Amino acid sequence: MSGLMLLFVGAALVNNVVLSRFLGICPFMGVSKSSETALGMSAAVAFVMMISSVVTWIIEYAVLRPWELGYLQTVVFVLVIAALVQLVEMVMEKTTPELHASLGIFLPLITTNCAILGVALINVQSDYSFIEMIVFSLGTAAGFGLALVLFSGLRERISFSSVPEIFRDAPIAFITAGILALAFMGFSGLVR
Amino acid sequence: MNKQLKIILAVTAVSAICGLILGAAYNQTREAIAEAERADFLAGLSEVLPPYDNDPDKDAREIKGTTVYEAKIKGKPSGYAAVFSSGKGYGGHIYVLVGMDAEGKVSGVAVLKHKETPGLGDKISGKDFLGVFKGLSEPGLIAVKKDGGIIDQFSGATMSPRAVADAVSRALEFMRDNFISEEKR
Amino acid sequence: MRLSSLTDGIFKNNAIFKQMLGMCPTLAVTTSASNGVAMGLATTAVLMGSNFAVSLFSGFIPKNARIPCYIVIIACFVTVVDLYMNAYFHALHKALGLFIPLIVVNCIVLGRAEAFASRSPVADSVLDGLGTGIGFTIALTALAVCRELVGAGTVFGYAVAPSFYVPVILAVLPPGAFVFLGFMMAFTRFMSSKIKGGGH
Repeated sequence: MSGLMLLFVGAALVNNVVLSRFLGICPFMGVSKSSETALGMSAAVAFVMMISSVVTWIIEYAVLRPWELGYLQTVVFVLVIAALVQLVEMVMEKTTPELHASLGIFLPLITTNCAILGVALINVQSDYSFIEMIVFSLGTAAGFGLALVLFSGLRERISFSSVPEIFRDAPIAFITAGILALAFMGFSGLVR
Repeated sequence: MNKQLKIILAVTAVSAICGLILGAAYNQTREAIAEAERADFLAGLSEVLPPYDNDPDKDAREIKGTTVYEAKIKGKPSGYAAVFSSGKGYGGHIYVLVGMDAEGKVSGVAVLKHKETPGLGDKISGKDFLGVFKGLSEPGLIAVKKDGGIIDQFSGATMSPRAVADAVSRALEFMRDNFISEEKR
Repeated sequence: MRLSSLTDGIFKNNAIFKQMLGMCPTLAVTTSASNGVAMGLATTAVLMGSNFAVSLFSGFIPKNARIPCYIVIIACFVTVVDLYMNAYFHALHKALGLFIPLIVVNCIVLGRAEAFASRSPVADSVLDGLGTGIGFTIALTALAVCRELVGAGTVFGYAVAPSFYVPVILAVLPPGAFVFLGFMMAFTRFMSSKIKGGGH
């Protein structure tokens, strides 16, 4: 049990998906201008990440490994994720229109979110068991949400201050992200 | 034609073509990849083992779940090597390839995989640090000075050297127990 | 065939500094100059290949099936590059690791396929792939050289800093990636505003 706990903390804080593994930078920079959209994006990413991790893990162990088709991994995973995102959007639209109204606009963006494919690949490359895979994906999703929400709060504050012309928007955002990453480095050594 | 059918047809056709291309590319590169991986591993083995004239990766055997690679000169064993890991590091497991000569002394150590902090903990893969282990024969003394051993930790990082020493110590003990006869010990 | 297909991607529409695309590999692999160059060249190869194939087949692909087809084509080229790198440049392949398969979701590649190659002749598309790739490689290399110089005192593995220089390790750690990229973006903005100002 404590092993799984450590895996979760490691994925969420120590090796944070955005701030230390550099996955999912595009949504991290793109939708972090307000806390509200940041929350919505985090929820959508967490949802898709869980489903896609489970599906790709099953495909890897049920199809790719027994048939020695490892070289098709990238193609199959990216297709599965693209199809899943479509499917989730259609199901959401039919069954929970309210959820779709709040998360719907983020879903198309998720297909090219490298955090989703990245986690699917890390899951199978690290030879995680089914339970470890679930815990790792949960931790990663939590880490993504935490980083995104914290960062959007910082950017909301920055938007009120006078930043020199050449640093406005992107440059100051990256430098702020660097300082946030520095803070997250404090977590390393937490998990042994 | 039905619109959806058209989409499915197009994706299937493209996927089929890509599948064919990939199959061909895979068959063409498979041997080269296997060779590159083997060369990589053999380079590590030759670094930690005493001189040999066989293929240690082929003369490998399984002992209690650990694979031991045997080096030979003219059919006579000249050394042994095994991969051990330690979880005592700063950033997760450190995998170490440890070689031992026929007298039961460490003949070389190489770090295969680690996630220690660049610039601090990653000094453990440097020659200066790993050279210290050469010739040691007492598993009990292979530990950092803080833990009562003889290995120097470096300033600012104790955990990474501690993990390497831990793996080397256990590897040496394991290989001595299995390959070095009582009287030689 | 126009020369601007080639040069636009290098300067005017530089993927990293102007369009902010492909940030993940930019930040992750620029810890050493050689990694930066290798990643840039691998992406260039994929860009040229996928632009070529997309431009060639765009007539046969129905409009609604565009994105999934393009993704499969891109993934195919990425895997080919991945396999050949693993076979013939094994050490580099090991250093870049996860980020080779992740070229698939590099927004630059899908972006160029969708915005340029799907509606341009084959030759122009390949040139555009080459130009965008070169621009990406230049940006990656510049960032990687800066980080390696400050963080380790070396460039392409050669020691260039004077011996009394103490490397600032933070530059090659994750926070350094963000901060260096931020300053480089500000610098390119400053330079382009200077150049524009001088032209008036």
